[in-house]
Amino acid sequence: MFDDLRVSAFLATRSIQRGGRGRNAMYIIIIALVLTNMIFLPSVIMGAMDVYYVQTVDYISSDVIIKPPEDVRYIDDVETLLATVNRMSGVVRASARYPMAGSIDFEDKTVAMEIDAFDPRDETEVTKFHKHMKYGDFLGSGDRDQIIVGSLVAGAKDDTGEFYASLGGATVGDSVVVRYANGVVREYRIKGIFNTKSYQADYMVFVTKDEMDAVTGSGGARATEVLVKTVSAEDAQPVKKRILEFGVGEDVETWEEALPDVVSESVESFAIINTISVLGSLVIAVVLIFIMTTIKTFNNRKQIGILKAIGLKKSIIINSYVMQVIFICLIGAIVGSLLIGTMVLYFTTYPIEFPDGDVTPLVTWAMIIENTALLFISSAIAGFIPAWRVTNEGILEAIRGG
Amino acid sequence: MDEYIRAEDLRKLYTMGTVEVRAINGVSFSVRKGEFVGITGSSGSGKSTLLHMLALLDPPTEGTITIADRDVISLSEAEKGIFRLSRFGFIFQDYALVPELTAEENVSLVAMARGEEAGSYSRRSRKLLGQVGLGERVAHLPSELSGGEQQRVAIARALINTPEILFADEPCANLDSTNSRAVLDLFREINQRMNLTVIMVSHEDWHMEYFDRVIRLRDGKIEEDFQPEIPDATASP
Ligand SMILES: Nc1ncnc2c1ncn2[C@@H]1O[C@H](COP(=O)(O)OP(=O)(O)OP(=O)(O)O)[C@@H](O)[C@H]1O
Ligand SMILES: [Mg+2]
Repeated sequence: MFDDLRVSAFLATRSIQRGGRGRNAMYIIIIALVLTNMIFLPSVIMGAMDVYYVQTVDYISSDVIIKPPEDVRYIDDVETLLATVNRMSGVVRASARYPMAGSIDFEDKTVAMEIDAFDPRDETEVTKFHKHMKYGDFLGSGDRDQIIVGSLVAGAKDDTGEFYASLGGATVGDSVVVRYANGVVREYRIKGIFNTKSYQADYMVFVTKDEMDAVTGSGGARATEVLVKTVSAEDAQPVKKRILEFGVGEDVETWEEALPDVVSESVESFAIINTISVLGSLVIAVVLIFIMTTIKTFNNRKQIGILKAIGLKKSIIINSYVMQVIFICLIGAIVGSLLIGTMVLYFTTYPIEFPDGDVTPLVTWAMIIENTALLFISSAIAGFIPAWRVTNEGILEAIRGG
Repeated sequence: MDEYIRAEDLRKLYTMGTVEVRAINGVSFSVRKGEFVGITGSSGSGKSTLLHMLALLDPPTEGTITIADRDVISLSEAEKGIFRLSRFGFIFQDYALVPELTAEENVSLVAMARGEEAGSYSRRSRKLLGQVGLGERVAHLPSELSGGEQQRVAIARALINTPEILFADEPCANLDSTNSRAVLDLFREINQRMNLTVIMVSHEDWHMEYFDRVIRLRDGKIEEDFQPEIPDATASP
């Protein structure tokens, strides 16, 4: 058995060394491109998903989000809840959100939207708005007559390209009038404009919780959600469990569970597109290897027949072709991996600009190993079949070469 | 008389649609060890068919073959392969060397396939190539050799496993008369020096001077089985 493999390896090595270097180089390049093709599209999709996930955690839900149960609008006794959660291990900080519907007037523009509120000291530990102030400053604890707005809300003087209604180019220092749904009207100075690149986050405005207390009047502002930042991403599940075990009457979800259904549906669609693309690449590889081996074995028919007449086992001859295929795939996979590495490096320096943020292709070792294994298996089969077919031809037919 | 190879009432029937071709139609003979046998006859007389059956490449429709007291017809395909690899040498009209292997590697391959250690066969194959007059060409690829030289590599390949029987089917068909003579002289020499049994198909009359014995076929039957007259060495030019 080992001796047979040695003979196959000898035949394969010599054939690779001396049989058409240019052609082998071409096969290797095609295999490398096939592997690149198998990995690049999913890596960009994964990169884009990752950007979306990071944005969700950074601005929308944090690691764990607590909401009132269905059909209930507000969280019951949010002060106690915050105090409880803040004491739990694995929790960095919890920040409550106190929104109220309303509209914002600036010059001749009016934007109808929810005005949200938080305690700035809590919020800076939970989300990253404060790190993405494009102009001006983040809210401070005592701020009462100030508001911060997202870049999509502020808008631009030339708003023809904008998809959402905006204030048409409001800048830091401008005064806006906010009309709350409960009838209260306030004038605020724009303290800062944030730009997170997340569509959802950049279409938000915030005042302080103290201000919202005053706007709401008796009883103070009421929270609709509590965002909980955990020490690490892995803490999300355990923290969720701890909160639930504590017996709060609210719904608790990790950021992943809180993703809207449409997101998981698009992930599924991506997976299907990706599978089709991978299958397409594999078909190219299989056809290539099949043709390559068919040509080689067919050209060597007579020689194969004579080797069999001399008494060489069929398996020695078949294996020598399969080994050549594996060698070409191996070098192709190495070249392909280098190519992918170069592309990832390039796009890390110059990310692909998606409207939702800068996307860097995300390549994992699992992706490379999985796709390389798929490529190896299908190529080995594609090489085996023609070699097997020619080798199984009758000795005399092969020698006659008819 | 010691019968080394014995063929008993061999028949080979090819059926193509409704047409039946009796390529070999009842052939019996025996060959002694060390005999140099030529199989001759006109085209289509069944020479190749007979050789292929004796060489275990094609089973007869009827009849038996014994080699060294062993019934070889009943061997399995794999056993026949081992038998051929270790006891037979083959030379065909087409040399069909492996194009990516040098002369030496082409010869060594067959020993390697028998599981020999690298050290033992590479010296032997170089020596054999020297004996067939290619001592200077061991590192050449088949594409760098003439037809006659390639056929001599094929001869060295046939001899590397020190076979007991050498089968050759028109080994000189693609060679000019000078190269043909060189090949036949080599056969003669090997046959005498190694006491190797040689069974060779040929339809050239002048080859007969090399054979100990000639089996002439006609329509799948033995027409003549005789010892050719040894030409007078002093009279030949
Ligand atoms: N595979 C086959 N199928 C059908 N008929 C065959 C087959 N092989 C040989 N024959 C027939 O058997 C007969 C003997 O063929 P064979 O090849 O043995 O002749 P040969 O003496 O070697 O001829 P040549 O000198 O032309 O090589 C011929 O009539 C040939 O047509
Ligand atoms: Mg013939």
